[in-house]
Amino acid sequence: MATSLSYREKSLYASLIAELVVYGPYFFLHRQNSLNKVAGMIIAIIVLQIILQSVIAVFTRNRITDERDHLIELRGYRAGYLTIASLMVVGLGLLWFHAEAGHLHLDSARVGLHFLSVFFGMLVIADITKTATQIVSYRKAL
Amino acid sequence: MPAIRNQIRELRAMREMTQQELADRVGVTRQTVIAIEQDKYSPSLETAFKVAIVLGVPLEQCFQYDPRGKR
Repeated sequence: MATSLSYREKSLYASLIAELVVYGPYFFLHRQNSLNKVAGMIIAIIVLQIILQSVIAVFTRNRITDERDHLIELRGYRAGYLTIASLMVVGLGLLWFHAEAGHLHLDSARVGLHFLSVFFGMLVIADITKTATQIVSYRKAL
Repeated sequence: MPAIRNQIRELRAMREMTQQELADRVGVTRQTVIAIEQDKYSPSLETAFKVAIVLGVPLEQCFQYDPRGKR
């Protein structure tokens, strides 16, 4: 039996596409070396999300959400939280290890930008995990 | 075999009701009705009662619990 996508599913696919299109090039090509690029990326993701979500809202007649949508949303947030908590523990552990071993050679001017990129990267990975978990839950019915 | 099974598909077919019609009357999405009919999602008690009321049958005729089933 054919199962068309619900409004929430379409919205999640759009979010995932927007995240991959904006964050992918930023982290893999731009090398996170400028505060302007971070600001540009945040503006780009907001604009792209508004455009995609508006298009989906216009072309989707039935936009109701129900208990299953809320349950899947919670499952996604749990996966996202576990991801960011794990990354924070690993990141702080590595920071402590490198500081103790004397491997940290960051000049003070770039320390702020470096940590901004690292923490922003953690947020991005957690957000993508959250969205992907929700999509998988929808595909598995829950 | 799932712990909670249902006869929604058969009861719906007897009433010539589409999945979308049932979904609209219960207040859920059609995808949720599909998931329930395929025994992939166990609805809340409130939704289960609504389904039974819309189909005009007692709850236990709509949903059955098998304690040996997989949760």
